[in-house]
Amino acid sequence: MAEKKIILEVQNLTKYFDTPKGKLHAVDGVNFQIEEGKTLGIVGESGCGKSTTGRTLLKLLEPTAGTILFNGEDITHYSRARMRKMRTQMQMIFQDPFSSLDPRQSIMQLISEPIKEHKLLKSKAEIEKRTLELMDIVGLARRFVNSYPHELDGGRRQRIGIARALAVNPKLIVCDEPVSALDVSIQAQILNLLKQLQRDMGLTYIFITHDLSVVKYFADDIAVMYLGQMVEKAPSAEIFEKPTHPYTQALLSAIPIPVVGKDKPPRKLLRGEITSPVNLPDQCRFLKRCDACQQCCQDGPNPQLVEISPNHFVACHIAK
Amino acid sequence: MSEKILEIKDLVVHFETDDGCVKAINGLTLSVGKEKTLGLVGETGAGKTTTALSILNLVPSPPGVIKGGSIELDGKDVLQMSDKELEHMRGNDVAMIFQDPMTALNPVLTVGEQIAESIMLHEHISMKDAFERAKEMLKMVGIAESRAYDYPHQFSGGMRQRVVIAIALACQPNFLIADEPTTALDVTIQAQVLDLMKELIEKNHMSMLLITHDLGVVAEVCNDVAVMYAGRIVEIGSTEEVFNSTRHPYTEGLFDSLPNLKEQGEELVPIKGMMPDPMRLPEGCTFAPRCPYATEACTQTVPELRKMGGTHFVACHAYDDPSFRLRRNANG
Repeated sequence: MAEKKIILEVQNLTKYFDTPKGKLHAVDGVNFQIEEGKTLGIVGESGCGKSTTGRTLLKLLEPTAGTILFNGEDITHYSRARMRKMRTQMQMIFQDPFSSLDPRQSIMQLISEPIKEHKLLKSKAEIEKRTLELMDIVGLARRFVNSYPHELDGGRRQRIGIARALAVNPKLIVCDEPVSALDVSIQAQILNLLKQLQRDMGLTYIFITHDLSVVKYFADDIAVMYLGQMVEKAPSAEIFEKPTHPYTQALLSAIPIPVVGKDKPPRKLLRGEITSPVNLPDQCRFLKRCDACQQCCQDGPNPQLVEISPNHFVACHIAK
Repeated sequence: MSEKILEIKDLVVHFETDDGCVKAINGLTLSVGKEKTLGLVGETGAGKTTTALSILNLVPSPPGVIKGGSIELDGKDVLQMSDKELEHMRGNDVAMIFQDPMTALNPVLTVGEQIAESIMLHEHISMKDAFERAKEMLKMVGIAESRAYDYPHQFSGGMRQRVVIAIALACQPNFLIADEPTTALDVTIQAQVLDLMKELIEKNHMSMLLITHDLGVVAEVCNDVAVMYAGRIVEIGSTEEVFNSTRHPYTEGLFDSLPNLKEQGEELVPIKGMMPDPMRLPEGCTFAPRCPYATEACTQTVPELRKMGGTHFVACHAYDDPSFRLRRNANG
């Protein structure tokens, strides 16, 4: 067995936005690392900072603090020009294939754009050949090569997004809700495709989603985020078998299970809604919605991730 | 035997556009029992929302044309009603909840005013009394009365959907159509809203048609379920029947596409191909080109719904052979 290689390591990643009301804690001291060829699922609800995490670690947003190590190289303070070169190794797939593609470009133009942009191939013939090859890889019939995005359905448009990301032979792809806008049967096609690409090319994925069932199928490790922080992180199977943070438990229990009549576990309803991420006190952020909350939670401080069993991290005063 | 609140028979709705005729609904038959909730499941473009709009006779016309069939709501045919009768029926007898609560609400009126507005439209009471009723409605959906003076943008997505539910229920309709009411919400909020809807439906002895693409939501909320494909019902029955002894290959395909039933690492089994273009529907069974069980006969005639026992109906030619079983049911 080859030695495990850490492709990406993030230390204390923090992104604040200044708003008229104060500091918005979008991402607040996130730590994780990913081995090459693995998938990390980042799960959470709207506003938990999962997309900002994805964008910040590709430096599409400048981090407020923290360190990003890609293949051991500290890229945190790289200039735009230097990042540009890095982008051939790290790519992103976006949620909405309807708005992330230029409607005036044909499929040929869309998929060849990153190849030209990074000057990977020179001659026109080579570029065309590579584009058609990419279309084969993502399962887009070659007859669509001169079509425009509006002529295609959501599933095919997402395949274009994937082909564009693959065009530069990246090592790491951040997938930001890649199947959320698609119907279930099409969703399954795209998930299978992503998985097959990972097997064939040894890709590393960061898979951002609100849908726990999708990451269960997909991820090796899962990190659950709440209000800018990771509240639990563990291997995928462990999260589903032994969810430990009260929020993870509630999130799992809220998924409607498509099973009738067989014994289902009782639902655990979460009260209230996510609190505002502006000017947060030094206290557990889940406090107001938590049933297990005790005096020690009220007194603070904000709990940090603690390893409760090998590779299983939880940020909770009670679950320790 | 329970009575039916809604009975749709052989409904055909087409949209006649310059580019051709879009066959949205092609002979749809379904019914909802009194005090029951029917889940209507299908993918984008199956005709779910057009079905809902037809029930309220709100299909935009032109280009929409209701070509045939009947829709009986509590014994009265909606398609034969005068405009005045329709206006009375909408809101009083039937109410509808839409997917996106932000676009369903008026941004320049307070939520209290909006609830009061719908009450005043149907009952001749003063603004003051209507506003009091609006506050009661807010309390019923779990929002503090004091927030009646707030505007929609001051509410979160889940709260807005509660306001929309309050508006829908303000005139005590006995039938509710909910079109993807929780699709835009986070799972934990979805769970709250579904629980609220379930509770209110039971308490007020209402019936509901719940349109969704999420089989999980159906399992949580519905008594019965109808699976729709290319404008027809392909399978209908109690949730117990459809989930535990699935009959139609398309329904099986939907279940197989779901990641959460699978163990990690296993391949998902997507339905091959895509939904047919409603302008160019295939001959015979519209699902045949994507169906792993399809035979020659399937491309000839459109299968009719046949009874499979109890309240379970399926439209599939494969059952001409009485020994036919789906793979899903093959090993018990």
